[in-house]
Amino acid sequence: MSDPSERSGKEAGNTRPDGGHPDAAAAVGTLDREPDGGPAESTATAATADAVETETNDGARDALRQVFVVAVTEYRLAVRSRWALALTGLFVVFGGVMLTFSGSAVGPGGAERVVASLTSLAAYLVPLAALALGYDAIVGREDEGWLAVVFSLPVRRSEVVVGTYLGRLAVLAGATLLGFGFSGALIVREFGVGSLSAFLGFLGGTVAVGAAFLGVALLLSTVAREKTHALGAALLAWVWFVLVHDLLALGVVAAFELPDAALSALVYANPVSAFRVLVLSGLGTTAGGGFTAVLAGSGLSAGSLSLALVAWCLVPVAVAGVLVRRRRL
Amino acid sequence: MRIDATDVRKTYGDVTALDGLSLSVPSGSTFGIIGTNGAGKSTLFRLLVGHDRPDAGSVSVGGTDVTEDGRRVRERVGYLPEHVGFPDGLTGWEVLGVHRAIRGLPTDGRIADAIERVGLTPAEADRRVSGYSNGMGRRLGLATVLLPDPDVLVLDEPTAGLDPRGVDEFHAIVEEIAAETDATVVFCSHVLGEVERLCDRAAVLHDGRVRAAGPVDELAAADPLAGRDGEAATGSGRERDGLRAAFREAVGDDAARRGEVDAEEVAP
Repeated sequence: MSDPSERSGKEAGNTRPDGGHPDAAAAVGTLDREPDGGPAESTATAATADAVETETNDGARDALRQVFVVAVTEYRLAVRSRWALALTGLFVVFGGVMLTFSGSAVGPGGAERVVASLTSLAAYLVPLAALALGYDAIVGREDEGWLAVVFSLPVRRSEVVVGTYLGRLAVLAGATLLGFGFSGALIVREFGVGSLSAFLGFLGGTVAVGAAFLGVALLLSTVAREKTHALGAALLAWVWFVLVHDLLALGVVAAFELPDAALSALVYANPVSAFRVLVLSGLGTTAGGGFTAVLAGSGLSAGSLSLALVAWCLVPVAVAGVLVRRRRL
Repeated sequence: MRIDATDVRKTYGDVTALDGLSLSVPSGSTFGIIGTNGAGKSTLFRLLVGHDRPDAGSVSVGGTDVTEDGRRVRERVGYLPEHVGFPDGLTGWEVLGVHRAIRGLPTDGRIADAIERVGLTPAEADRRVSGYSNGMGRRLGLATVLLPDPDVLVLDEPTAGLDPRGVDEFHAIVEEIAAETDATVVFCSHVLGEVERLCDRAAVLHDGRVRAAGPVDELAAADPLAGRDGEAATGSGRERDGLRAAFREAVGDDAARRGEVDAEEVAP
């Protein structure tokens, strides 16, 4: 697929100085103003308050544009490599199977019971999907030789990291909404519109836990020197957060009389636990069992759990943005 | 735009890649860097675009210290890494579109111009890069470098993997840039004839230091073997021998032999 705007301009002999891009004229103008050898001097002599403010605004706009370009490129690549289709299909199939066979003797009835079953499914499936989608985000691009090309452009490495995250997040979020949306449509059809709020809570939590694990995957990809190392680390992360942490925390809670703060810390330390508690407490159930059941009465608020999930999204990406500066190409 | 590297040191673990290297590239010159494998050429280029930081010394492009403001430097520099690659899912056209968008360049037909300039056809540019040969990938890489009309072009082994036609086209592009613009072109090559043909100045790197530098004709004229066998040295053959001899003298016979083999095998 070619670039239609570029082609039409070429074919028509159009040489618009500002092109089709809103920031193009400003960017070109900035370059034109700076003489060879003396950009720092010229900036210093012309440093009025207005100029500084304009430069700051231009810098922020440039950064946003560059993050957007990287994100769109990553999204396009993920769609073309059929990641979006595969994830959507995975969520549709597993969600459909879960709806067909869902049911629990200890859970609530009606739509809440189905959503609780979906939550259990998502707690295993979505982190794995997010880690698989993100483990090669940086190290894979380096293997291709693309990272060296992009880093030689006038863009900050941290902006490339953020753009990569957002592009892949768009794919994961889209697949989650579409894939589990299919289950949601069946739930509404079966139980009526009144079941929608429970399902929407689940859907939001699922996107959030996916975003958190995508951030973790991005961080691992930034630290790893080889793709296989990143893949191994991603699998270990999944085993720890999804399988081991919950069991370990349950054992600790059973063995010791822990204060509420310690219990809360155990939940915040694992995005899967935060997701489970957030969604299931909204349903008024502890059908997830295990550590989540223990935490039913711990008094964790939906706000604090949501904040914990947001932190799990932001912190790994921020750390990756810092560490990528040290990465040797 | 002038490039200066002053007393630059760079080590990776126990390996000293650059050992007090100092080099000046005058504005507007076409500068060739010759050296055996491991001489420090690629490390120098990585420092020039801010991919790495020197352990000591400084590198500046157009008076801007790369370590302090690499982004500003990269606005003016087009860099072609030795191992250039692109995501398989993009077409050549889209790769250039990403470059244009990140740089904030106008939509003025420059992508089509760049594609044409490096000898890719529009049909080839419309294909995904997963189907590109090594040579086509190098051409696309060169197109990304030419896209912004940079003040400085830094090309790491630009003709590696190109077929003879591609090499000729690359030579023509560099000659065109030298003739029609004020851009500074720095490239490294194992092919001594290429450096002699295209460059007005050159430097010989060995073990992380500059062993010889200056105008190419002066380096060639300093041929210690010239006239030794009593033959009249004429034309480009004499010049090539001259630069090769200067290279041999600068880096030592053993190291030079590797460069000579490359030159014999690859020179067009």
